[in-house]
Amino acid sequence: MFSDRDVGSPQSPFVSPYLNFDPAYLPEATQPEFIFPEGASKQRGRFELAFSQIGASCMVGAGIGGASGFYNGLRMTVLEGQTGKLRRTQLLNHVMKRGAATANTLGVVAVMYSGFGVLFSWLRGCDDELNTLGAATTTGMLFRSTSGLKKCGLGGAVGFGLATVYCLITSRDRINSFLESKS
Amino acid sequence: MEEYAREPCPWRIVDDCGGAFTMGAIGGALFQGIKGFRNAPSGMSRRFAGSLAAVKQRSPILAGNFAVWGGVFSSIDCTLVYLRHKEDPWNSIISGAATGGILAARNGVPAMAGSALIGGVLLALIEGVGILFTRLTAEQFRQHGPFEDPASLGFPGGGNPQNYQ
Repeated sequence: MFSDRDVGSPQSPFVSPYLNFDPAYLPEATQPEFIFPEGASKQRGRFELAFSQIGASCMVGAGIGGASGFYNGLRMTVLEGQTGKLRRTQLLNHVMKRGAATANTLGVVAVMYSGFGVLFSWLRGCDDELNTLGAATTTGMLFRSTSGLKKCGLGGAVGFGLATVYCLITSRDRINSFLESKS
Repeated sequence: MEEYAREPCPWRIVDDCGGAFTMGAIGGALFQGIKGFRNAPSGMSRRFAGSLAAVKQRSPILAGNFAVWGGVFSSIDCTLVYLRHKEDPWNSIISGAATGGILAARNGVPAMAGSALIGGVLLALIEGVGILFTRLTAEQFRQHGPFEDPASLGFPGGGNPQNYQ
């Protein structure tokens, strides 16, 4: 195994024995091989992803809010017949106001969702779709909790619905294989 | 949690924005909760209602301000990494000062200078504390060679230990 003849190449005999063997003896690597620290999970958990998710939803909220504020501002200024400098300032006001409001709302929702997600995965000791569903439902309920029982339930239902759609999309392969194995 | 390495550069902006938003949201909830509790009319239920209203109304705004700070800071940090081709405490300090200045741009030049100074000093303090902690924790991992004190080797007859240094 460590001789030149196995490899069949005219290498000098002074080459390192570690470089001088048949690669066919190596196990076939079918998936990426990383060395993980002892006890560390092989994937980034909810906590590691939380800040990126919150930041992303904040930025997306700012974008959406800014766009809708711009549209609203255009309409309002046309309706009120404002032109020139006044119109520009009003447009900026609309964009900033709506953008900040939407960014804050989406960000708070993301903070709640991430918090519940981390809490659930910590409590249950595993990270799966059930956590997503539960976290989304609780987030919806908490977000609407101050505006009456009915709206609270409605918020929870909206959260649950969104999470269900998300789970159906992300774990489509697993559901398909499950259905095929049953039929 | 083991070592929390920062994200690579363009994504760091999103990450820092989210971290700052979270910090602002939680800190704002605590702060405004206490403030609303103290400011409300007497009666326990009214106090809690005031606290809740204050949290609902003001903590997202604080969180948003924090998020803007974090996002601008991180953007400048990444720009500096790209321009200077290195990551060191100076990046953070410069971007802290620049962020303070940019976000106070509407308040006139003296306010900008003050904010920039505060931002720079704050980030310098944070980086300094970080470096200090690294030094302190590195101290306890320092290697002590087995031959540090040649006298302890115990040469018979007290050979000259200076030869071994």
